[in-house]
Amino acid sequence: MEIHITALKKYYHSEGKVIKALDGVDLSIPANKIFTLLGPSGCGKTTLLRSIVGLETPDEGEIRIGDTIVWSSEKQIDVPTEKRGLGMVFQTYAIWPHMNVFNNVAYPLQNMKLPKAEIVSRVEKTLQFVQLEGFGSRPATRLSGGQQQRVALARALVAEPKVILFDEPLSNLDAKLREETRKELRTFLSELAITAVYVTHDRIEALALSDQIGVMKSGHIIEIGEPKKIYFDSEHQFVADFIGRSNLLPVTIENQGEAYTEVTSSIGDVLCARKEFPADSEITLCIRPEFVDLIKPGEKETLQNVFTGIMKTMVFVGEVYESEIQIGDQLIMVKVDPDSNVQEGDEVVVAIDPDHCLLVSR
Amino acid sequence: MKRTQRFGVCVLVLLFVVGTVFGAGSSEKAVVDSGAMEDKVTMYASITAIEPIIEAFSEKTGIVAENTRLSTSRFVSTVLTEFGAGKLMADVLQGPLPVMEILKEQGVISDYVSPAIENYPDWAKRDGIHLFGIEYVALIYNKDLVAPADVPKRYEDLCDPKWNNQIVMANPASHATTISWLVGLKENVFETEQQWYDFLHGLAANNPMFVASFSPTPAPIESGEKLIGISMPKYIVTKAPAPLAWAQVEQPLMGSPRAIAITADAPHPNAAKAFVDYWLSSEAMSLLAEEVGEYVLTSGVYPPIDGIENAEVIPIRELSDDELVKWGAEFEKIFE
Amino acid sequence: MAKVRHTNLTYLLIGILALLTLAPIVMLVIGSFSEGLRNVGKFTFEKYISVYSDPGLVDILGNTVMFVVGAALFSTILALFLAYLNNRTNIPWKFSFKVLSVVPMMIPHVLFSVSWALLLNPSNGILNLWLQQLFNLSNAPLNIYSIPGMILVEGLLDLPIAYLIISPAMASFDVSLEESSKVFGGGNLKTLFKITLPVLRPAILAAFILCVVRCLASFAVPSVLGMPGRVYVLSTYIYRTVNTGFIADYGKAAAIGMSILVVSISLIYVYRYMTRSSEKYVTVSSRGFKPVVIELKKAKIPLFIVVVLISFILIVLPVLVLLYTSLVPYSMVPSAKAFSMMDLNHWKTVLADPISLLSLKNSLFLGVVGATLGTLLSLFIAYVIVKVKTRTAGILEALSFLSFSFPGIVIGIGFMWFFIKTPLYATIWALLIGYVATYLPYGIRPMTSAFVQIHSHLEESSAVCGASLLTTMRRIVIPLLVPGIVSGWVLMATMFLRELSLSVVLSRPGTEVLAVQILRFSEDGLWGRLSALGIIMIFFSTLLVILANILGNRFKPAHD
Repeated sequence: MEIHITALKKYYHSEGKVIKALDGVDLSIPANKIFTLLGPSGCGKTTLLRSIVGLETPDEGEIRIGDTIVWSSEKQIDVPTEKRGLGMVFQTYAIWPHMNVFNNVAYPLQNMKLPKAEIVSRVEKTLQFVQLEGFGSRPATRLSGGQQQRVALARALVAEPKVILFDEPLSNLDAKLREETRKELRTFLSELAITAVYVTHDRIEALALSDQIGVMKSGHIIEIGEPKKIYFDSEHQFVADFIGRSNLLPVTIENQGEAYTEVTSSIGDVLCARKEFPADSEITLCIRPEFVDLIKPGEKETLQNVFTGIMKTMVFVGEVYESEIQIGDQLIMVKVDPDSNVQEGDEVVVAIDPDHCLLVSR
Repeated sequence: MKRTQRFGVCVLVLLFVVGTVFGAGSSEKAVVDSGAMEDKVTMYASITAIEPIIEAFSEKTGIVAENTRLSTSRFVSTVLTEFGAGKLMADVLQGPLPVMEILKEQGVISDYVSPAIENYPDWAKRDGIHLFGIEYVALIYNKDLVAPADVPKRYEDLCDPKWNNQIVMANPASHATTISWLVGLKENVFETEQQWYDFLHGLAANNPMFVASFSPTPAPIESGEKLIGISMPKYIVTKAPAPLAWAQVEQPLMGSPRAIAITADAPHPNAAKAFVDYWLSSEAMSLLAEEVGEYVLTSGVYPPIDGIENAEVIPIRELSDDELVKWGAEFEKIFE
Repeated sequence: MAKVRHTNLTYLLIGILALLTLAPIVMLVIGSFSEGLRNVGKFTFEKYISVYSDPGLVDILGNTVMFVVGAALFSTILALFLAYLNNRTNIPWKFSFKVLSVVPMMIPHVLFSVSWALLLNPSNGILNLWLQQLFNLSNAPLNIYSIPGMILVEGLLDLPIAYLIISPAMASFDVSLEESSKVFGGGNLKTLFKITLPVLRPAILAAFILCVVRCLASFAVPSVLGMPGRVYVLSTYIYRTVNTGFIADYGKAAAIGMSILVVSISLIYVYRYMTRSSEKYVTVSSRGFKPVVIELKKAKIPLFIVVVLISFILIVLPVLVLLYTSLVPYSMVPSAKAFSMMDLNHWKTVLADPISLLSLKNSLFLGVVGATLGTLLSLFIAYVIVKVKTRTAGILEALSFLSFSFPGIVIGIGFMWFFIKTPLYATIWALLIGYVATYLPYGIRPMTSAFVQIHSHLEESSAVCGASLLTTMRRIVIPLLVPGIVSGWVLMATMFLRELSLSVVLSRPGTEVLAVQILRFSEDGLWGRLSALGIIMIFFSTLLVILANILGNRFKPAHD
């Protein structure tokens, strides 16, 4: 089911200041996809999610789930949370400590007043789906973090809602478990025909899980796109910066070519993927460290965007060296192969593929 | 919104149901009231321990008598509140004379004069208010711990330093009966005001322990925490076998008159008359004297207290509230 | 939960509460500005001028502050100490704490005060006599008729209020907070003072403030112990104003009461201000709460002795005094003679007295039904106070304290002035409503401190799962609140069973209650019968407490 959000506004008033949690958000979330709201803390992503589920009441605007308007300031519609028929996984999991696993999961079905036998079979099916079969009688307080997370998921899924919402559900897990659970979640969700809205501030989580990502900043959605588009081809400096480590250089446009746009920056002239900008807009060049390649001096002539610099620092993090190269006065982050024999202080030559030189507006 | 509305409706329904239950309860009560009009009589009394009279009355007449005890401090406000709302439940009121006079002024008390008042002294008859007893005050001591020779023979003997820290009394700054009694001493016992002041200062010098009213006075005497107190002889009867006795002083005993009357709009007027008539009979007054130790005005009836029939017991003048406050403040200064 | 959703609920509750608590107060305000003795008369300031121009008022205020702050501090600290020992340490005989915490709730305050007078009066107090002999003193070393004596007794009497608020909070405390303190090098004591107590601040403050409010309105201790020592506090000042003379002017009493009311309401706002960021104190989450027990090691035996001593003072002593008094024919210091004179006469008289039996029945009805209704109402109010936290929720909290913070002798009159205008006057329902309205904080306090500790996600997820507000309450919130609910119910039920100040004004033939009957005995000085009835009352209170705990345990989540 699609979710349509129109001109949604939510201001908080605290100690005389106005905090614009949602400042006129327009958003369409496609059906049966995993849609992630990504942004730094305080950007309004959780408020948006809680508005969709009805735990937060916006000031203005409209929220439509499928064909049903669940909230509208103009039409004075406010479908209460429990009537919206959604599923949600909370950051704290919100597993009720006084119930066992079965009762936690059965709760939505019990509220639908389904026959007992059906509840039992559906809960078992769902527990099986999240690989918790046989855990039904376990008290909720005697579960590990990962198990609790899966109980929360089972509870959100058991009533087969058309939309499921996730509020940073992995942030309480340790790194390894988080990675595993992320994969599991991806598998679970792609097996179901369900619209998932996922809130996180973790870019890797967003990239790995999503079909689409919406990046939020101070109450606005600034960009929506598939993970690759967001990563490689974002429109805004903020998005480019937030979604991954990158070198950001202010530039001015020299020349609009057929295939490339030529710009001047602090490391010299750079050929970039072609992009149109209004006349006097301020533009930033975004280069991801992984696209800065160390080359042999002999290859210089055959490549474009070749620069010479000094290797300043090299930090070994496993799969790569995270390094910095000084080109002119500018430090550029670079990923260097772990088997490279370059040393700190060496003079190095690098080339940057123009297709990966991304121009974004500031 | 729906959820809250539904919840609101639930609560309103609940309130309604509860309301109807209340309503039903009270109308039911009304039916009982009108159906059994004269089977019942309700009394508000400040005097305590009168159950024997109430039982005897019910037994004799078949009329159920109910009593609510109202302490003096709540008497006027309760009766006036109910009377003002037209809901005075009492047929019969029993309280100290000053209280009854205030209520009479407010129109609460009927003019009914019981024929039974004939056996009483003239001063006991006051258009509708029947005086039947005196809330008499005396010096009560612990007869186990006080040697007969030490027992006071006059009120002034309380000033003897041997009673230092051995006296208990109700707070003379606030306890109305104690204030009236002390003023009564001035007006009825001591010859000069100076003698009276000397008595007060002497008493104060012995540092008496104050309690809120008369009722907590006997306990410290019984237990020996104190030896003597300004208290009521009726405790000798009600607290028997406690080692209490009264000091048979040469001077008269004094107290506020106790009164009984019928209310102007009594719900059960006939039963009320029957009750007051019975109350004033020698039979009832003997019960009051014998069972409760009260001093009654019916001639020839005395409480079973040794020597009480020889005592002169006189009513004290009723002080107005302004006077009580004034003297209370005065005594507070003297006793500080 | 969304705030808008609760607006209606909040207004509904404000409506109910306003009716319950504002009505008598309005009557009293009118009374305090009216000429004459009736509720309504010509407007006048005269009553205020007359009570507040008393030159003795400064001393009285000084005494009141010392008494109230002292007693409230004493009970709060003692309650903290006991709650900590019970919930956090391996002190033996833990079951005794539950008893310890409620027994003083059931003892009529007058009786408790009188038994302390018997023990510590300077003339022949039993303990004083012992001490005199032991140390060869010429004078009694201790005097109960003094401010410290009053603080001691009132503090002990208010201990259950403080304990029943602090203990559930202590029990559901997230241990990882303490554990992390230890990881960072804090010892047990440091953790206690730097972590445990600050995190428990809402409960501690609630307990303290409730005790302050209660002490301000307390009458038994100031009259039994203060008056003989000539120590006057505001409540005895009111008594004096009302009682000097035959015409009690409750308008004047209400005028004094207003200042107590203002103080109490201000305290409640201070409390709200100090705990405004209650999110900080959310401690129970879905991670579960397993108590970690601190080994007391060497301190175990001394601490245990302290607890035994407190139990002795709080339970054994007063009950023994009651039992003793009910058996001896009159007030006597224990002696061979006293023991030889013991008999069951007082018991026989009480058990044969139809009014005593009727009052027992009425009180039990009021205790059970009243506490249940009161708990239900408190539940919703506490929910709004904690979870909605708007200004209107603040109004709700202040309203709930209104009747409670008025001195008992006065508020009863307010209710009488109010009920006389309704068909409820002189029925048992008037008592029921009056009780619930006046003692709501007993229900609300333990429940708010328990509520504060339930993470909002636990309810929100219930709503997402399709549960209505009532279902969420029934299936999620209430089960998690069971300890708080039991505390609230017990506080209310035991209070209602021995309620005096309202009952004495509102009870009429047919609606007699235990405390009024007890007062009747006390006004006749019949301490023996009073004690017998008192013991019967304690017995039934205990029964109710045990029942409440059994029921509570059945609904309580199984933790493993």
